[in-house]
Amino acid sequence: MKNERKRTFLLITVPILALFVCFNTIPLIRGVIYSFTNFKGFGTYDWVGLRNYMDLFTDGRVGKSYWFTFKLAIVTTIVVNVISLLLALGLNSKIRAKSFFRGAYFLPNILGSLVVGYIFNYFFTYILPAVADMIGIEALRSSILSNPSAAWIGVMIVCSWQAIAMNTIIYISGLQTVPEDVYEAGSLDGATGWKQFRHLTFPLIIPFFSINMVLCVKNFLMVFDQIMALTKGGPAQSTESISYLIYNNGMSGGQFGFQSANAVMFFLLIVIVSVAQMKFSSSKEEQL
Amino acid sequence: MRGKGMKCLGLVLYCSVTSLAVSGCGGSKENGKVTEIEIVQYKPEAANYFKMVEEQFNAAHDDIHLTISSPNDAMTILKTQFIREDYPDIIGIGGDINYSYFVDAEILADVSDYQGLQNIKQAYRDIDESLELVPTEGTFALPYVANAAGILYNREMFEEHNWEIPKSWEELKTLCKNIKSEGILPFSFGFKDTWTCLAPWNAMAVDLSPADTPKQVNRGETTFSKEYAEVSEKYLELLEFGPDDPFAYSYNDACTSFARGESAMYPIGSYAAPQILSVNPDLKLDSFVMPANDSADGNTLNSGIDLQFCVTAECKNKEEAYEVLDFLYADENIQQYIDAQNAIPCKEGDFKLPSILDGMQEYISSGNMTDYPDHYYPSEMAVDAQIQTFLLKKDVDAFLKRFDTDWLRYNRDIIRQVEEYEKEHGNKSE
Amino acid sequence: MIKKGNWVVMVLLILGLSTIAFPLYMTIVIAFKQPAEMTNSIGGILSLPKSWSFANFKEAMEVTDFWRSLGNSMLITVVTVILSILLHSLMGYAVGRNKAKSKFYSFVYLFIVSGMFVPFAILMMPLAKQTAELGLANWFGVIVLYVVFYMPMNIMLYSGYLVNIPVALEEAARVDGASTWRTYWKIIFPMMKPMHATVAIITALAVWNDVMTPLVIMAGSGKNTLPLAQLNFQSQFGTNYNLAFASYLLSLIPILIFYVICQKQILNGVASGAVK
Repeated sequence: MKNERKRTFLLITVPILALFVCFNTIPLIRGVIYSFTNFKGFGTYDWVGLRNYMDLFTDGRVGKSYWFTFKLAIVTTIVVNVISLLLALGLNSKIRAKSFFRGAYFLPNILGSLVVGYIFNYFFTYILPAVADMIGIEALRSSILSNPSAAWIGVMIVCSWQAIAMNTIIYISGLQTVPEDVYEAGSLDGATGWKQFRHLTFPLIIPFFSINMVLCVKNFLMVFDQIMALTKGGPAQSTESISYLIYNNGMSGGQFGFQSANAVMFFLLIVIVSVAQMKFSSSKEEQL
Repeated sequence: MRGKGMKCLGLVLYCSVTSLAVSGCGGSKENGKVTEIEIVQYKPEAANYFKMVEEQFNAAHDDIHLTISSPNDAMTILKTQFIREDYPDIIGIGGDINYSYFVDAEILADVSDYQGLQNIKQAYRDIDESLELVPTEGTFALPYVANAAGILYNREMFEEHNWEIPKSWEELKTLCKNIKSEGILPFSFGFKDTWTCLAPWNAMAVDLSPADTPKQVNRGETTFSKEYAEVSEKYLELLEFGPDDPFAYSYNDACTSFARGESAMYPIGSYAAPQILSVNPDLKLDSFVMPANDSADGNTLNSGIDLQFCVTAECKNKEEAYEVLDFLYADENIQQYIDAQNAIPCKEGDFKLPSILDGMQEYISSGNMTDYPDHYYPSEMAVDAQIQTFLLKKDVDAFLKRFDTDWLRYNRDIIRQVEEYEKEHGNKSE
Repeated sequence: MIKKGNWVVMVLLILGLSTIAFPLYMTIVIAFKQPAEMTNSIGGILSLPKSWSFANFKEAMEVTDFWRSLGNSMLITVVTVILSILLHSLMGYAVGRNKAKSKFYSFVYLFIVSGMFVPFAILMMPLAKQTAELGLANWFGVIVLYVVFYMPMNIMLYSGYLVNIPVALEEAARVDGASTWRTYWKIIFPMMKPMHATVAIITALAVWNDVMTPLVIMAGSGKNTLPLAQLNFQSQFGTNYNLAFASYLLSLIPILIFYVICQKQILNGVASGAVK
C-alpha cells in the first residue's frame, strides 16, 4: 500500500519535472553559458571569462536598476496589500450590488498595457497638473513622470492600480473560508472592528496573505510592462527596472552576454533572499 | 543523488525527443520549379505598400513566389530567426548600427555583382561603406530610401507673420525670439520619449562636428568632450524656446500640439509627417535644414538610410533574389513608396519629392547630406537617455565626461577590433 | 449600527470605483473618436465623440483579422488553462504531500518554484533555438512553454492550498481500497475547485495578454494572437490610439466573461468546502 502511494507520486513527478527541466533549466543553462561570452544575440562570439560579472559591479546603470526595482517592489507590495485587504473586507461585507462591484474592481487587471500607459500618461501629464494648479499644490504643478526623483511614484501608482484587482480576489476567497460562527463567537467576547480583524479574521487568512505577498514580490521584482507603457526607463534613466534593462540591452541592444550575466545574478539574489525568508518564516511558525 | 538521477533522466528524455523531431523534419517538399523568395522588412508602417509589391510581383512571375512580411518589432524577430539559423533570403533594415553588426557577423552576402547597384546614389553607398565597423571587402546593402531630419514648420503661420527661414544659428535664435514675442511657442518637444531627444541632437551635430567623430574616437584620435561641446551648449539654448516642461510630453503629445498650431516648429525628422497630418490633415507642413552652424555654408542636411535591402549569405537563389530586387527598385515602385511614406529615394533618377521636403530640396539635389551620428552609437549605451539626463540637469561637462567613459566601455570590443585592423593594415603597408 | 457601517463602506466603494470608471470612460470615448478629434486639452479629451459610429471597431477588426486572431488566442488560452489545471494540480499534490518529509520532494519544490524568478529575456534566445530544433515553433510550442512558465506559481498555489485539505480524507479512501491515483481524482481534485478557479484566472489573464512568447516562438508561422495583431497599431513614429483602443475593448470582453464565471466558482467552491 505504502509503496503504491510512493510509486504513484514518483510517476507523477518525473515526467512533469522532465518537462520543466527541458524548457526551463536547459535553456537557463544555455543562458548561463552565454553569460561568459560577449555574444550579441547573433553571429560569432568570444569567451570573455568573468568579465561580464566584474562589469556588473562597476556599471552604474545596473546598480541603479537594482535600487529602483527593490524600492518599487517593497513600497508597491505594502500599498497593494493594505488597499486590497481593505477592499476585500468591503466587498465581503453585506452590501448591495456585490457582484457588480466585484466585476468592476477587476477591470484594471485586464486593460492592455498600451491603454493603461496612454491613460495614465495623460492623467499625469495634463489632468493632475491642472487639478494641482486649481487647488494650488505647487509640487504637483508639473508632471511627476518628468521628475527624475518622483517618477517612480507614478510607476508605483500604476502598478498598484493594476495589481489590486488580483490580490483582492485572493483575499476575498480567503475571507470566504472564515466561517460566520467565528465572528458570532467573537462578538460575544466583545471583539469588534479592528480587534475582531486583528485577532480573529487575520490569523485565519494568513495563507492567503502569504500567497499575495509572493505574487506581489514576484510581479514587482520582475516589473516590465508598466515601465514600457509608462516611462520607458526615463526620465534621466531613473525608472529602469532590472527586467527592462535585461530585455532592452540584451535583446534590442547588443549586450546579450552581459545582460545574461545580469539575469543570472538577479536570479541568484532572489533565490538567496527567498531561501533566507523561508528559513525565517518556518522558524517563526515553529515558535507559534 | 536522486536529484542528479532525475536530471540525467530529463536530459535523456529531451535528447530522444530532439532526435525524433529532427528526423521527422527530414522530408522537405520539392515540387515544381517555383523558387520561394522571402523578404522580412522592418517598417510595419509600409506594410500596405509591400503587400501590393508582393501581389504585383507574383502576378507577373510564375517561376518565383515572393513573400514579404512586415512584422512588428522586426529586429527581435530577425534576431530570433538568425539564432534558429532560419534566414530569410532578403532583409529590409535601416542603415544603423544593427547593419554594422550584421556585416560584422557575416550574415549578409556581397552584392557588388548586382547590376542595379550603379544606379544607387554614391552618397548613400558611401554611408553604408562607413557604417562597417572595420573596412570590409564588398558591398552588403542596397539603399532604398532615406529620411531627413531638421525642423518641420507650419508654413501658413510663417507666411502670416512674414517669418523668414533662418540660415544660421543667430538667425534661428532671432526668429525664435520673434515668435515668442508674438505669444506663440517656437518649438514643440516630446522629450518624454527619449528617442526624440536625438532628433535635434543629430541635426545639430552634423553641422557642428565631423561626420566621423565616433570613428575618430575609436581610433583614439579625439574625444567627445572636444567634438560635442558646441552641440551640447547650443542644445541648451534651443531648449529655452520649447515648452516649460518638455520632459512631460511624449512624441505623440508633441505631434498633436504642433499639428494643432500651438507651436510654430518641431525639430524632428520627416518620418513624423504622417502622425502630425493624422491629427490635422489640413496643416501646411514644410521643413528646413537645422541651421546650427554660425555660418550658412557650414550647415548640412541630416539624412540617413531609412530602408535598405540586403541579401543574406544563406540565400540559395541569389539570381532570383536579384530579380526581386530589380522589381523593387523599379522607378515607379520607388515613386509609390516615396509618396506613401514621405521618403527620399536613394536611387538616381527623376523622382518627385514629397512636398514636406520642399525646404530641403536644395541640399538633397546637391548631395550636401550627412548621416545620423546616432547610427554609430550602440543602442545599449542609451545615448538618447543620456541626452535626456543632460537636458534635465544642464551640466555639459558631466554629460560629455560620461559620454566619453561610457563610450569606451560599450565599444570595448569594437575598439579592439579597430586596433587589430589598424595593426594588420599598418603591417601590410610597411 | 451595522447598517450605518455598511453605508460608509458603500460610499467608499463608490468613491474607489471612480478610479476605475474614469480610465474606462476615457478608453471608450477614445475608441469612438477619429484621430482628428485628438487634442491635448483636457476638455477636448474628455468630450464625447462627434458621432457614435462603430467604424473604428470595424476597421480594428479588419486590421487585426479579428476572428482568426481571436480563435488562435482562445485556443492557446483554453488549452493552456486546462493543461495547467490538470498537470499543475497533480504536481502540486505530489510535491505538497511529500515536501515536508522527503528531501527529494522539497528539493523539487524549491527547484521549480525558483523558476519563477528566471527573467524571460535570458531564456528567450535559447528557447527560440530549442523550440525550432524540436519542431515546436508554432502554437503548440507556445502552449508547452506556458505550461512550463506558469508551473512555479501554480504549484506554489496548489501545494499551499493542499495544507487545508486533511490527509485523513485520503486515508479513509485508502482503507476502502482505492488507489492513490483514484483517490486524487475522486476526492482531492474536486476539493481544490476554488484553487482551480484562481489558477484559471491568473493563468488565463497572463496568457491572454502575453506578447513576447508568441512573438519570439511563433514569428514566421503565419499565425497571430490578438496581442500580436494589436502591435499593428503601434510603431515608433506613430500610434493610432483610436483603433488600438477599440481593439483593446473588443479583446477585453471574452476575458471578462471568463472572469465572471470563475469568480462564481471561487465563491461557490469555498462555500461548499466550508460546509463540510
